[in-house]
Amino acid sequence: MSLLKVTNLSVSTADTGLLEPISFSLDVGERLCILGQTGSGKSLLAQAIMGNLPDGLSSGGELALFGAKATRASRRKLWGRRLSMLPQEPWNALNPLMSARNQLAETYHRVRGDEAEAARQSADYTLALQGLSSSGHKRVDQLSGGMAQRVAIACAMAGGAPLLLADEPTKGLDVNRRDQVVQQLIAQAENGALLCITHDVAVARQIGGRVMVVKEGKLVESGLSDTVLNAPSHPYTRELIAADPASWPERNAESSPGGAILLETEALTIGRGSQMLANNLSLRIRRGEVLGVVGDSGCGKSTLGDTLLCLEKPHTGRLKRHVSTAPHRWQKLYQDPTAAVSHAATLGTLLEDLVKRHKIERRRIAPLMARLGLASTLLERRAESVSGGELQRFCLLRALLLDPVFLFADEPTSRLDPITAQSVSQLLVEIARETDCAVMLVSHDPHLIAKRCDRVIQLGGR
Amino acid sequence: MKGIDFTSTRFWGALILLTLCLYAFAAPILSSQDSATQDLSSILRLPDSTRWLGTDHFGRDMWVRLADALQLSLLMAALCVLTSALIGVTLGILAATGPAWADRVLDGMTTVILALPGLVLVLIFAAILPGSFWMLYVAISLVQWIEYFRVTRAITRQVARSPAVQSSRLMGFGALYLVRRHYWPAIAPQLTTIAAFGAANAILMMASLGFVYVGIQPPLAELGLMIVEHFPYYADAPWLLAQPLIALALLVLSCHLLAGRTAR
Repeated sequence: MSLLKVTNLSVSTADTGLLEPISFSLDVGERLCILGQTGSGKSLLAQAIMGNLPDGLSSGGELALFGAKATRASRRKLWGRRLSMLPQEPWNALNPLMSARNQLAETYHRVRGDEAEAARQSADYTLALQGLSSSGHKRVDQLSGGMAQRVAIACAMAGGAPLLLADEPTKGLDVNRRDQVVQQLIAQAENGALLCITHDVAVARQIGGRVMVVKEGKLVESGLSDTVLNAPSHPYTRELIAADPASWPERNAESSPGGAILLETEALTIGRGSQMLANNLSLRIRRGEVLGVVGDSGCGKSTLGDTLLCLEKPHTGRLKRHVSTAPHRWQKLYQDPTAAVSHAATLGTLLEDLVKRHKIERRRIAPLMARLGLASTLLERRAESVSGGELQRFCLLRALLLDPVFLFADEPTSRLDPITAQSVSQLLVEIARETDCAVMLVSHDPHLIAKRCDRVIQLGGR
Repeated sequence: MKGIDFTSTRFWGALILLTLCLYAFAAPILSSQDSATQDLSSILRLPDSTRWLGTDHFGRDMWVRLADALQLSLLMAALCVLTSALIGVTLGILAATGPAWADRVLDGMTTVILALPGLVLVLIFAAILPGSFWMLYVAISLVQWIEYFRVTRAITRQVARSPAVQSSRLMGFGALYLVRRHYWPAIAPQLTTIAAFGAANAILMMASLGFVYVGIQPPLAELGLMIVEHFPYYADAPWLLAQPLIALALLVLSCHLLAGRTAR
C-alpha cells in the first residue's frame, strides 16, 4: 500500500502557477528527495501535502494518504501521529517561552500519549542522544541555530509518525550533525516513508532512494538517486552537482600570502556574557589571507569574530591590532543577509546613506556592482523583495566600498543555494587577494573551508 | 496604499472623525450665533429652521455650543497624542539604547505612575488648578506617555540586538541614523493603534472631569460638563441631553474604529 500518492499536484496563486503538476507515490520503506535551489517551489510541495499552504495559495490535483483520499480536514487529524513535518526555520516552530526539555516532554506526553514521567524520561534520553543534555533547560533564544534545529527535529519525530516530510532538515548544521540527522531520518523511514526537501546534493546522496530535481516549479529530472546524481542528463542537475563544495576545483596551491601582520591575539578567552566558550586562543592574522574557522555549532565561532571586531569583550588575554585604521574598515558579513539589512528603505537609499557618510567616490560603485553581478535595478527594491544571494552580495558591496582591512564572514553562504554560494565564496577569496584584506570565513562545511581557505582554525577541540 | 477599502473599519472611523472635525470647525463660522449669548425668552427650544439643534436651559444655541465642545475635545486629543507620543518614543528609545542606569530610572518612574489609576492622577492635577485647559493637558499627557514608552522600549530593545543594527554600527553610522533607519520604522506601525486609543482616552478623561465639575468650567462648552448641566432637564428636553452624549459616543467610536485591527 502506498503511504502517499500524489497525482498532478500543483500550487498556484490567483493568477500565476508556482509549482507545475507533479506526480509520485511513496511506499513503506521508500525515500524520496526533492532537490532544487531556494525559491524553486520545493517547500510549497511539502506545504501542499501537509495542507498548510499560506493564505492566497491554492493547490490542485489529487492526494491520497494511507490509501484514502485526503481532504484538508482529514489531514489535520493525521498531523503529528501519522504525518509529520520538520519545519524549515526551527526557532519559529518552537515555543519561545518553554525550555527545550519541557516542550519535547510535552510532545511525548500529548502526541504519543506517554505518561508524564515516561515522557520526561524519553525527552531526557532523546536530548542526550542529540548531545543536548546540558542545554535542555534553555529556551529557544538561548540555543544556537543548530541546537534549535536538533530540538525541532526531536519534537517532530516524537510522535512516531510513519510518513515524515523534512523541509531542509540540515540547513545550518555542521557536517557531523548533518550526517547524524540524515541517519536519524533514514532510520525513521525504515518502517515508514521519508520525503526530504533539500538543496544539498550531499544529503540527497546519503538518503538515497529516488530523487526529483525541481527548477522554478518545474520537474526537470527524476529517477534513482545513484543514476541521477552520478550521471545527470539535465544541464541544471549537472550545474547543481558541480556547485556542491565537494566537487569544486581544488585550490591552486600557491604559497600562503604573507602580508603584514594585521591582528594578533595572545591567550584569548572568549565568551558571551558570563559564559566562557573557548580559551587559550593565540592567533596571528595577516593581510590578504583567508582564514577558515570550523567547529561544532555553539562552540564560539561567531563570538570569536565579534571579539576580533571588538563587539564583544574578551574575558581574558590580549588582542592587538597592528594597524591603526578607522573602525569602519573592520567589517562583518552575516549568516542571514535579510536580518542584516534595514527593510525600511530601498537598497539604493541605504547605499546612498553609506556614500554620504564616508564620502565615497560614486564612480567606484558601478564597476564593483558589475563585478559582484548586481543589476542596477536591484537598488530600486527593498531588502524583502530581493533574493538572499543578491542581498548577501549587496552586503559585500557595502563592506567593500569601505576598503576593509578585515572582513569577518559568519557563514555567509549557508542560507544561499549552492550555485550562488559558490560564486559568493569565490568572490570573497578574490577580493582578499586583490585588496589585501584579511578574510575570516566561518563555515560548517569542511569542503568549502578546504577549498577556499589558506589556514584553518578548529574551535572546540574534538 | 492600494486604494481605499470601503469595507474596512478604518475607513468608517476616518469618515466619522472627518465629519465631526468638519462640523466642529465649520459650524461656528457658518452660524450667526455665538456659544455664550443667552436668550432667556427661548429656553429648551426644539430644533427648528433657525436653531438647528434647539437651545439649552439658558437659551444658548446648541448647534454652536456642541461644535465648540467638540473643538475643545478634538484639540485636547490631538495635543495629548502628540505630546505623549513624542515624550514616550524619545524616552523609550533612550531607555532601550542608552546606559543601564537611564533604563532603570525611567522604568522605575513608569512603574510608580502605573501604580496609580490614571484617572485619579488626572483628577489630582485637575483639582490643583480647576478649569485650566493646560493643566488638564499636562495631566493627561503625563499619564499617557507611559504606553508609548513601554511599547517603544520593548520594540527598540529587540531591534537594537539585531544584526542589522550591529552592521550599521560597524559601518560607522551614528545614533540618529539608527533611529531613522532601524528603530523608527519598527515602532511607527504600532504607534497609530496606541495613538487612536490614546485619543479616545483623552477625550473620555476630559469629559469625565467635566462631569464631576473639576474639568473645564462654565460658561465654556465641554461635552462632559454639558451632559451634567442638561441632566436635570432630561424629562422636559430629552433631545438636549442626547446631543452631547451622541457626540461623545461618535467621537470615541471613530477613534476606536481608526485603531483597526492590529497590523500583523
